Amino acid sequence: MAGSLKPVGAFAITPHKVSVCILLQIYAPPAQASVPFPFSSVSQHNRLGLFLLALTKSCDDILEPQLDELINQLKEIGGLLNHWLSEHLTRKLSALSSPDDLFNLFSSLRSILGGPETSILEDDQIILDPNSHLGMFLRRCLLAFNLLSFEGVCHLLTNIGTYCKEAVSSCPPYDLPDEDDSNNDLEELLEYEDMDLESFVFRKVAEEAEARKRARESATFHTHTPRSLLGLVEDIQVSADSKYKNCDGIGQGSEFLGPSHDTFRGDDHNSGLFLRTNWQVQGYLREQADLIEKHGSSFPLNAFESILKQLQKLAPELHRVHYLRYLNNLYHDDYPAALENLHCYFDYSAGAEGIDAPSSSSSFISYGNYEIALLCLGMMHCYLGHPKQSLEVLTEAVRASQQHNNDTCLAYTLTSICNLLSEIGISNATGIIASSYSPVTSIGTSLSIQQQLLVLLRRSLKRAESLKLTRLVASNRLAMAKFDLTHVKRPLLSFGPKASTKLRTCPIDVCKELRLSSYLLSEFGSDGASLTIDGAFSTAWLKNLQKPMASSVLSQENRSENGSDAFQFGSQPSSIPGYVLQLAGASYLLRATAWELFGSAPVARLNALVYATCFADGSSSADLALAYVKLIQHLAVYKGYKEAFSAMKLAEEKFLSVSKSRMQLLKLQLLHERALHRGHLKLAQQVCDEIGVLASSVTGVDLELKTEASLRHARTLLAAKQFSQAAAVAHSLFCMCYKFNLQVENATVLLFLAEIHKKSGNAVLGLPYVLASLSFCQSFNLDLLEASATLTLAELWLSLGSNHAKRAKALIHRALPMILGHGGLELRARAFIAEAKCYLSDPNFSVLEDSEVVLDSLRQASEELEVLEYHELAAEAFYLMALIFDRLGQLEERESAASSFKDHVIALENPKDDEGLLLDSYST
Amino acid sequence: MGSKESCRTELRTAIRQLNDRCLYSASKWAAEQLVGIEQDPAKFTPSHTRFQRGSSSIRRRFRTNELPSTPTAGVSYITTPVPEEDDLVDSDCYLLAKSYFDCREYRRAAHALRDQTGKKSVFLRCYALYLAGEKRKEEEMIELEGPLGKSDAVNHELVSLERELSTYRKNGTIDPFGLYLYGVILKEKGREDLARTVLVESVNSYPWNWNAWSELQSLCTTIDILNNLNLKNHWMKDFFLASAHQGLRMYSESLSKYEYLQGTFPFSNYIQAQIAKAQYSLREFEQVEVIFEELLRNDPHRVEDMDMYSNVLYAKESFSSLSYLAHRVFLTDKYRPESCCIIGNYYSLKGQHEKSVVYFRRALKLNKNYLSAWTLMGHEYVEMKNIPAAIDAYRRAVDIDPCDYRAWYGLGQAYEMMCMPFYALYYFRKSVYLQPNDSRLWIAMAQCYETEQLHMLEEAIKCYRRAANCNDREAIALHQLAKLHNELGRTEEAAFYYKRDLERMEAEEREGPNMVEALLFLATYCKAQKRFEEAEVYCTRLLDYTGPEKETAKSLLRGMRAAQSLPSMDVEHFPP
Repeated sequence: MAGSLKPVGAFAITPHKVSVCILLQIYAPPAQASVPFPFSSVSQHNRLGLFLLALTKSCDDILEPQLDELINQLKEIGGLLNHWLSEHLTRKLSALSSPDDLFNLFSSLRSILGGPETSILEDDQIILDPNSHLGMFLRRCLLAFNLLSFEGVCHLLTNIGTYCKEAVSSCPPYDLPDEDDSNNDLEELLEYEDMDLESFVFRKVAEEAEARKRARESATFHTHTPRSLLGLVEDIQVSADSKYKNCDGIGQGSEFLGPSHDTFRGDDHNSGLFLRTNWQVQGYLREQADLIEKHGSSFPLNAFESILKQLQKLAPELHRVHYLRYLNNLYHDDYPAALENLHCYFDYSAGAEGIDAPSSSSSFISYGNYEIALLCLGMMHCYLGHPKQSLEVLTEAVRASQQHNNDTCLAYTLTSICNLLSEIGISNATGIIASSYSPVTSIGTSLSIQQQLLVLLRRSLKRAESLKLTRLVASNRLAMAKFDLTHVKRPLLSFGPKASTKLRTCPIDVCKELRLSSYLLSEFGSDGASLTIDGAFSTAWLKNLQKPMASSVLSQENRSENGSDAFQFGSQPSSIPGYVLQLAGASYLLRATAWELFGSAPVARLNALVYATCFADGSSSADLALAYVKLIQHLAVYKGYKEAFSAMKLAEEKFLSVSKSRMQLLKLQLLHERALHRGHLKLAQQVCDEIGVLASSVTGVDLELKTEASLRHARTLLAAKQFSQAAAVAHSLFCMCYKFNLQVENATVLLFLAEIHKKSGNAVLGLPYVLASLSFCQSFNLDLLEASATLTLAELWLSLGSNHAKRAKALIHRALPMILGHGGLELRARAFIAEAKCYLSDPNFSVLEDSEVVLDSLRQASEELEVLEYHELAAEAFYLMALIFDRLGQLEERESAASSFKDHVIALENPKDDEGLLLDSYST
Repeated sequence: MGSKESCRTELRTAIRQLNDRCLYSASKWAAEQLVGIEQDPAKFTPSHTRFQRGSSSIRRRFRTNELPSTPTAGVSYITTPVPEEDDLVDSDCYLLAKSYFDCREYRRAAHALRDQTGKKSVFLRCYALYLAGEKRKEEEMIELEGPLGKSDAVNHELVSLERELSTYRKNGTIDPFGLYLYGVILKEKGREDLARTVLVESVNSYPWNWNAWSELQSLCTTIDILNNLNLKNHWMKDFFLASAHQGLRMYSESLSKYEYLQGTFPFSNYIQAQIAKAQYSLREFEQVEVIFEELLRNDPHRVEDMDMYSNVLYAKESFSSLSYLAHRVFLTDKYRPESCCIIGNYYSLKGQHEKSVVYFRRALKLNKNYLSAWTLMGHEYVEMKNIPAAIDAYRRAVDIDPCDYRAWYGLGQAYEMMCMPFYALYYFRKSVYLQPNDSRLWIAMAQCYETEQLHMLEEAIKCYRRAANCNDREAIALHQLAKLHNELGRTEEAAFYYKRDLERMEAEEREGPNMVEALLFLATYCKAQKRFEEAEVYCTRLLDYTGPEKETAKSLLRGMRAAQSLPSMDVEHFPP
């Protein structure tokens, strides 16, 4: 009822708890010798004790186990005794036929508890310490029973009756409902019941994944033959199947399966199902929420949805279910459903169970914490790519949290505004910003968006630090690092004495922020928000019982070892909370990106590798996919396409259907790149269009994708020698980048414009572009790009005539160390060729004297280009080689070089390798 | 429509049969309709009829559009033969069981009929079992309410009853009453399609069981479902359609249907109450009040639908009538949800919101799914500034019936009060979607857009325009439209709306600051447009008002005269 909250964490007595109590009675019978009757050894006795401990603690599932499951577990534990134990248990349970039996049972239970003065204990008597875990459990059960009204006792009795009955008839006793009317939820569920449940659920998951996979394939790439598609699908099924069989605990499949199995089992038979305590269900939900966030769209939508629906039916007052439904829908991009559930959740909970730091209770009572609802809504809009709504909502959240003095929420909101601003391009500051930021920053509208973002970032960092929100501090530092990476800091004041500032980014700042953010690792203990669920160990241990290795349990020596095994099997027994891992991992990922920009390929690769190996468990699948993408890109640039594609295939299997477009984008990128190199322009154009389609049509959203797509479009046009169109596309791209302040991309675009002019033969026109690009590179510390620009500059000079060869050579030599150390295959080959050309066009250079200088670099270039299958450049290299050999009079070599040249030219002119071939090499 | 006489005989038989099967509420309904037919003049004293005539004349006075009470052309009713009872003489066991049933000892009744095979006995046994299960379920619901609100109490008889009835249906040994019970059970088990088919079978073979019709109505959640029902054309179908249309918020259709039915059942209290309900939804409070006054005169101990009457009295702020009504229902039956609701309304009107919440809570204890009590309680919490509780109450109303636009509107208002206008928009959008012809909702949404935090004036204008198009009684929309257009510098549109607003105020003879504002704007606007004559008219009208505007008007007039005289002066200065 409105306004009145039910007591949280209430402990209701259920048949399962009664069975545990009966087992406790066996474990500690009143007044017995040290090893009580049925047990033959101390170890056996202890074994039962451990089992009971685990039973009382375990909480992985939302529903309590049925009697037959309990008996199965008992079998694993009891060894020789198992028969006696389960017999005893069922006998005791079925002997409970009147309320009085229950009263007697509980009063006899009382006697196994020790009195308060436990000091006077006889040595050989087993008495439960009332303050031990088992003792507490028993006391809670006794209390709960004593609080029951007579009606409650009657209900317990009937419940025990159904509990026993279901164990006796272990096969599902329900018949299919008779006739027609098949479009019915309930009936559908009932039908499922008759199948092999686990395989059914699994199949459902696989089907979902498959369907998504298929949709993706067909939607994005029309060139697939059905045969290869089928092969792919089979592949996936097999791999997933085997994973399921291994049941390795951590595999997503089995984790999802556990609860759903139970759910399907008794949809119609509510009477036989008992929820665990409120606290345990909450823990379960929290765990699932983490899983959803981690796995994103690969989380099985429908299976989990049906669990949630059932949970909602069983516990209508448990509002967190709505939140889970919201998350589930959100990550499957179901906007209306997500919106509906979000509103529903916050209407009911009033933000009472919100973010980690609970706000002061006084303000909650009168207002509720609806600002958290706004925060969530804003983040939802941001995730779904509605920047305008998101900004509007977050501004409202700022206002609401200021009004209700909810500093924590304010800090979080500021951070999410920062995220929004840094992720989404907003061109004009007036309009939205003007109205909304005045309360936040009160710095007027004279500043550009970037400057406002900086101010916001600083403020939110300070705020988070003062509130001691460690997590937030860490993520703010990461955001700061990201900002420093791509933005030049300008003085905020436009008047007054100007300090002499260098207009450059500062890599040291980036490193500093990154390092500071990792301090979190040492500090998380003081955060006060340890989110691990206590019972996780016990559940893992209990699940373990059914594994075959548990049969060797009886021998005493094995026990400790087995215990440690259980620890390894547990879903996440590490003591570091997941979010710490995530943040620390994110810093590595950001490091990789930073080094990519700064131009150190090995370090970037190293960081990506560290991320992929050390943080794979804790990270979300989208982030992990990003790390893989980085590694594969590295492979493509440094090792050629063959290796990249084979790695790609592995990665795709790992991330089947994951994270909207990352993997897919990578695939398209690689295909495009290769098509360009091979001169297959039609395919290149097609792939390029596919990339363009991936981006959202809203302005300001998916900027990265959009720049990527139009840059590739321009490159395709250039390869087709349509210079003016290419220049037009590049120009509009430059305008967009300028509008949204994407300076790093600007450097690339300028360089590309220079490239266009170079290819079109207007070297003079190219010069200003390349110089501009160079200055961009310098101010953003883009060393590798700078080397590449220097190379282009040299090429431009070279094409202006042989009298500039010397200058060109000097430029190339300046760039060579960087290029050789960090450059990819293409860049290096280009450098080699350019160098050779410099030598050749230098009038002071004679081939006859110093042929090896030129030949050596050309040889290297041709080797690398053949790996890349870059026909155009390779032909050039071989042509030059043939010329030199001709001059040297080495006819044999000349002929071989000439024939290679011919091969490449033919390959370039008629790209015989149609799609089929492309795909073949892709799938091998 | 069948003749009144045939209706009368059909109903008389039906009442007896329904009573035999202990379907009391259906028989009550049928009896109400029976006396709703114009009485046999032969059997009643003239004084009685005179009273009836007199009362109906009061009602006629208020009837705006007198519909011809002839049936629509082409409708031909089929006559369903009243089924004969299979056993004319009831067995002793049946008599015993029925007495047990009447004493509400359902299980005993079922037990007494355990070996009987007659259709009537079988039905009564099943029905008794069903009711016993329901009773136990209600008790369990209270006993079981756990910390997580789990109330998984089910009627334990459903499974066996469903099985038994489905075999009867397969064998063809089921009568319409059995079908009705089967439909109810199927509905409760969530198999709605089958339930609909079964209930349609039931009403087609025995149309006088109003219970079956109302179960069927609760399963018709969209107009498409309703139109696809395969119903025979009995006169009871008209009752059903009228009620179903009302449920689907198609008030005018329902109203015309009821008015047509009144031709045959002119004295039916039920029809009158339903008409009142439809009028209430159309916000014709005056008529609703008249109808209810008459209803109470004829049937002073009526509690049904009286909560709606109390809402009308609340809206009209008639303290004494409301308190009188509350007192009356309190004496009649204080433990009816309606009574509690009326008392709650009374306290709310008196401004004692805490007490009113107590009574709404009691109403909800009596009926957890009492929609209007949840909404009204939400209003009370809003008054008490306990927004979280209000939101909770509204949300529960919405969860019971997602089409309740009042609760959505309440949610929106609550969030707007918390200064979360953007968040509130979601709820206003929902309510407007459900009730697109209600100007109040559009205005609320427009005001939300207009708040200084959002300041989305274009959207606000769109909403106000919708509001102005759907009969905005308080005439807020026109004024706001004019103001907003003026604010955005679109003087032409502003003038258009000010003019319309002015015309409207003239038509309704309203005065006030809005009038002054409109006149002032129009005067300045016309002057700027060099339409001096018009401007002069507005200015002279302004002179009737006191205050600074009068002075402004004077100076405007002076300025215009000067401007007008200027060219004439030119003429004077430079004679030809």
